[in-house]
This record gives sequence, structure tokens and C-alpha cells, in this order.
Amino acid sequence: MDFRIMLAELLGGLWISVEIFLLTLLFALPLGLLIAFGRMSKIRIVRWAVQVYISVMRGTPLMLQLLMCFFGPYYLFNIPLAGGYRFVAVILAFSLNYAAYFAEIYRAGMESIPTGQYEAARVLGYSPVQTFCRIIFPQVVKRIIPPMTNEVITLVKDTSLAFSLSVLEMFTIAKQISSAHTTMIPFVVAGIFYYVFNFVVAAGMGWLEKRLDYYR
Amino acid sequence: MLRRLFYLLLSVAALLFSGCSDGESGTTFTVGFDADFPPYGYVENGVSKGFDLDLAREVAKRNGWKIVLKPINWDAKDMELNSGSIDCIWNGFSINGRESAYEWSEPYVDNRQVVLVRKGSPIRSLGDLAGKIVAVQTDTPVQKALMKGGAKETLGKTFKRLIISPNYNNAVMELEAGSVDAVALDSGVAQMKTASSDRFVQLAEPVMTEQYGIGFRKGNIALRDAVQKTLKEMVADGSAARISGRYFEGRNVLILKP
Amino acid sequence: MDVLTIRNLSKCFGSLPVLKDISFSVRKGEVVSIIGPSGSGKSTLLRCATLLETMDAGSMSYGDLEIVRDGRYAEKSLLKAARNRFGLVFQNYNLFPHYSVLRNITDAPVCVQKRRKEEVVAEAKALLRKIGLEGRENAYPFQLSGGQQQRVSIVRALAMNPEILFFDEPTSALDPELTGEILRVIRQLAEERMTMVIVTHEISFARNVSDRIVFMADGLIVEEGPAKELIDHPREERTRAFLANATSGTI
Repeated sequence: MDFRIMLAELLGGLWISVEIFLLTLLFALPLGLLIAFGRMSKIRIVRWAVQVYISVMRGTPLMLQLLMCFFGPYYLFNIPLAGGYRFVAVILAFSLNYAAYFAEIYRAGMESIPTGQYEAARVLGYSPVQTFCRIIFPQVVKRIIPPMTNEVITLVKDTSLAFSLSVLEMFTIAKQISSAHTTMIPFVVAGIFYYVFNFVVAAGMGWLEKRLDYYR
Repeated sequence: MLRRLFYLLLSVAALLFSGCSDGESGTTFTVGFDADFPPYGYVENGVSKGFDLDLAREVAKRNGWKIVLKPINWDAKDMELNSGSIDCIWNGFSINGRESAYEWSEPYVDNRQVVLVRKGSPIRSLGDLAGKIVAVQTDTPVQKALMKGGAKETLGKTFKRLIISPNYNNAVMELEAGSVDAVALDSGVAQMKTASSDRFVQLAEPVMTEQYGIGFRKGNIALRDAVQKTLKEMVADGSAARISGRYFEGRNVLILKP
Repeated sequence: MDVLTIRNLSKCFGSLPVLKDISFSVRKGEVVSIIGPSGSGKSTLLRCATLLETMDAGSMSYGDLEIVRDGRYAEKSLLKAARNRFGLVFQNYNLFPHYSVLRNITDAPVCVQKRRKEEVVAEAKALLRKIGLEGRENAYPFQLSGGQQQRVSIVRALAMNPEILFFDEPTSALDPELTGEILRVIRQLAEERMTMVIVTHEISFARNVSDRIVFMADGLIVEEGPAKELIDHPREERTRAFLANATSGTI
């Protein structure tokens, strides 16, 4: 097979992986924060429900969640599926799954902020929303960068699971080229692409970490 | 108790390890198969079953080999074979399009690739597939044929989209759920689906006809010949036909001549 | 005119009573020190007064704002108005680590009190000059010594223009050689007739700087009176015992 054609096909797959990655972050990062609030809610039922949600999302394979998101509407509610729902289901499953992990990271970050910070803000008259946005969250961001970097890099590699819903991302395309032409080269190329992708992600997180390094 | 468990684990490990040895030099014969491919090879209640696997068992028995049936990830089959972790791929394995990639046995089954649609679907012929969404399993001959450069490219071009599923089950689930309009697949699998459920109908006109063979590692002619010789003996004495009958409602699907 | 009035305050942690029927008020311009052994309830009293803890029973007013009546708290807007009247200096400073010194001081006046930024910044700079931290506006808390951080936290509280300023053991987290700089700032504020309530272990400082001293033990106010009189001639046996113990250590 022509190396350039292979490269073009793999790059096409890489773009799908990047799309899944970016859209998942776009939805899972805020959703995770919301879930973290639910997890720390004063209302017992909310706290309990969110705990069950996190436990299920972390305790079952992402591949199963992908299948549930895609086939669930039909097999549970008898809603016929439209073809365009496929990619939506991928993003939905990834976002719901990763939000659960992000929520626990946010929660650990928020709980690590000393109560004195909340008290100082309260005495100075900050509203709860102002306290969170101005005082707590910026400090949380700094503290959660290392665990977030881990999780985000895992997400890059997890994009290959999209194939369980027949979305052809880079790794699946590599497998197909490999088996069609009995060659290992596409795996090597895909491996390099994944590495570069993760290198960029890690560099971005490193940059953010450095930018927040001005205080301790 | 603990000690017994330890020996048990040790013997299991030894078994797995010996599975990696070459079939002709040792006493084991390791067959790689896709556990999602009924009726040729599949796992039912934790037991590996299927037409091809029963043939392989009989071949091993007659040669005095110990058989190891190893479910593999279909996408990794070449790595499995070339690394020596399996001795052959024997699992409804189409020769067409892969002629030079393996050391092939003579074809032993004629297989057709057919189209499955929902019952009551307006699709009645291959021509009706124009503008429809069609699913195939990844890395199957029919996928290759329908895609660019394949033998059935012109048919493939009429589709609205070709969806490539990780396995047959997913493709058929999508058909049932309505996200695809048709599935192009192996007729053996299609027959099993139409027999077990009245929700699907098979189009009479096949997409293509292909032949199944047993794929061995390039250069492993000795093992290929030994297996093929035994298989021909089984065809001659009628035991192969009996195995076929078990899986194809009494029909003998074998085309191998003794 | 009383700036703060507390009547019959009671507070329990679970089944353990920590404040028992405390009545306490502070006049405008008065400097009051609260002393007493650890666990006597003096910090809890301060935390109730600054709305960081809720009292179980009793009443509390800031001037004309009645914010607790017989254990029932007033509506949120009233509590918010009351918060605007007092400031609190913590034992551990609790500066915001991600804000510069200047931002620590100006953020709340600008974003809570909605005052003009230029005016607040000018005032903050003047206050920093007064406490000897001129030119450190752009430093971050981790770059300052404990004493400097505590001085910044005092300025942060002052920038809100409170009517009354509370100090919760402001020198307890500091190395002994750094306590002097904090005490100097507080003394300076006392000379300017800033209304202050100081929970402290520094007996001689309390004697010199306060108008009045309150001695607490076991959740009760055991004795209160003019500063020098209470320290030099305590009436109660418990006060005497505490003072004998405390002064033998520090002086």
C-alpha cells in the first residue's frame, strides 16, 4: 500500500479521535463540576443519587456504556435509531463516563482547600457563588492539574473504544490497514500519532501548571 | 488445598504455554478462531463450539495431537499466527482476497455473502440498497469487496453509507434498532439469524460467493498438508458430512473432494 | 452607643456546652481583650459574633441591626449588612494564596462593597505604608514572613472599613520574635480609637492596650473589668490562679 494513502487514512482517523477528545472535554469538564457539587450536596437524596451514578460509571466498562447509550433508546424505549445518532451516542457515553471521574477529582480538590479560605471569604462578605468563583475554584484548578493530566491522557487512548459503535477512529483504521495488507507499519504510525497527541496534551497541561506556579 | 491450587495454576500455565509451540514438532494443535462467528466457531455457555471447531477436533484426534481452541481478536489474527501463538486460522476464513497472505488448504466450503434486512422492509433486491445504510463486519471479504477498489465497488457506491461494525452481533443489533437498513454478511450466519428470529429476512440474490479454507503460516506446508490429508480422509469416510449435518440442518456443505 | 451587644448566648457542640449564658457588649471606640485558658470558649464566642458559628440561644445586635433574637437568626440580607460592620483577623491569617498582597486587600471592597477600584487601591496603598509594607503590593503571600502576612490580613480587614475589628489569637501562629510587629500595629489602631475585641494569650499586652479585659473559663465569663485593675487585682480565685500561671511563663 502506498505510504501516503495510508498516512492520509490514519490522519483522517486521528481527526475523529481529536474530535471525540475535544467534544468529550467540552461537555465532561463542566458536567463533572456539577456532579461534584451534587456529590457534596447537603440534600441527602441528591448526594446518594450522585454517588450511585459515579459508582456505576466507574464500575462498568466504558464499552458497555457506549453500547447502552447507542442501543438503549431502542431496546429500552423502542425508539428507532437514526443514523446520525451514532456519533452523538459516542460523545454522550464518553462525556457521562469521564464526568464521573472528573467529579471525583474536583471533589478531592475542593476538599483539600483549607476551611480557613471559606471562612475568610465569608467574613469578608463574599456570596457563596463569589467565594467559589473567585477564591476556591482558582486554587482547585492548580491542585487538580496532575490528576487531570492523567485522566485526560487516558481519554486520548480511550477514543479507540468508539469503534464498538462503528465509529472508525485512528486505531481501528490502523487495525484494518494492517490486516488487509499484512503489515505492522500502520500500528507503528498510529503509535507515533498517539504519542505526539499525548505529548501535545501533556505539554499543554504542563504549560498551565507553570502558569499557575506564581503562587504556592 | 492451596498447594493443589498452585499445581492447578501451574498446569494451566503449562497448557497455555505449550499452546504456543509449533503443531508439527509438539503434540498440540492450536486453532485460532473468532468466537463471534456462528455457526463456524463460537462460544456457548463457556464451551467453544462450531462446525469448523468440530472438524479441527476430529483432525487433531486422528493425528494424536492435543487440541487447543483459542478465541482471538479477529483484527490481531495475523500477529497471533505469525508470532506462533496459534498454528492456523480455521473459522469460516475466506480465501478470496487473501490468496497470497497465507499457506492455504484447498477450499472446503462454498460460502455466499448475502444481505439481511428487517421483515417488511421495502428492500427486496440488491438494487433497492441504493441510498440505504448498510453494515458489514470489519475485515470481512464482503467489506473489502464493497469498498473502493473491491470487486463489488459499484454496488457499494450506491449505498448512502457503509457502516463498519466490530462484529456481526453489533451489525444485526443496529439492523434491529433501525440505525442501519441492511447487513451484508456470511450466509451461514444469516441463516442462523433468520432461523432464530422472525424479525429478519434474507435477500435471495447474494452479494458475492467466496470459498473458505484453513489458513496456515506462510511456509508451514508440512502442517497444512497433514491437516488437509486427514480432512480428506474424514470427507471420504463420511464423518465430515455428519459434522456438517449437526450445524446446517442436515445439509453437507463440504466441497472438498477426497 | 454599643457597637456589639450579646445577651444570654448559649452554644453546645453536640451535648457539650461550650458557652453558657454569656452576655457581652462593646462600646464604640473601646478595646476589649478576652483572656482565659484553652477550651474556655473565648474563640467560640468570637466565631459566634462573626457568624462563623451559630448560637443555640440568646440574642445579638450590631448597633441597630438585631441579627439574632432568642436563638433565631434574622433574614439573609440583614446578616449580610451585619457582616459589613465587622472584620476578623484569623490566627492563621487565611490570606488568599493566589492573590497578590494588593488584590488580597482590594478584592472584597471592589467586588463585595462595589466601591471604585482607584479609590480602594489608593486606600490600600496608604494602609500598607502605615504598617510598613510599602512596596510589597505585588508580592504573593508565600513570599512574606508570618508577621508580614498577618499585617496584610489586618489591612485586608481594615480596608472594608469595619465598625469593629475582631482578632482571634493574632500572634499565636507566629514565632515569638515576630509577635512584636503585630502587637505594634494593634496598639497603633487602639490609639486611633478603633473598636476592637482581641482574644489573646499575651497578658501584659492585653493589660497595656485594652480598656477592659474579660476573663473566661469553662464557657462562662468569670470576671471582667478595667484592664489594669483586673490584671493587677483580680477578684476571683480562678482569675488569680490563671494569671499566676500565665504570667510566670511569659514574663
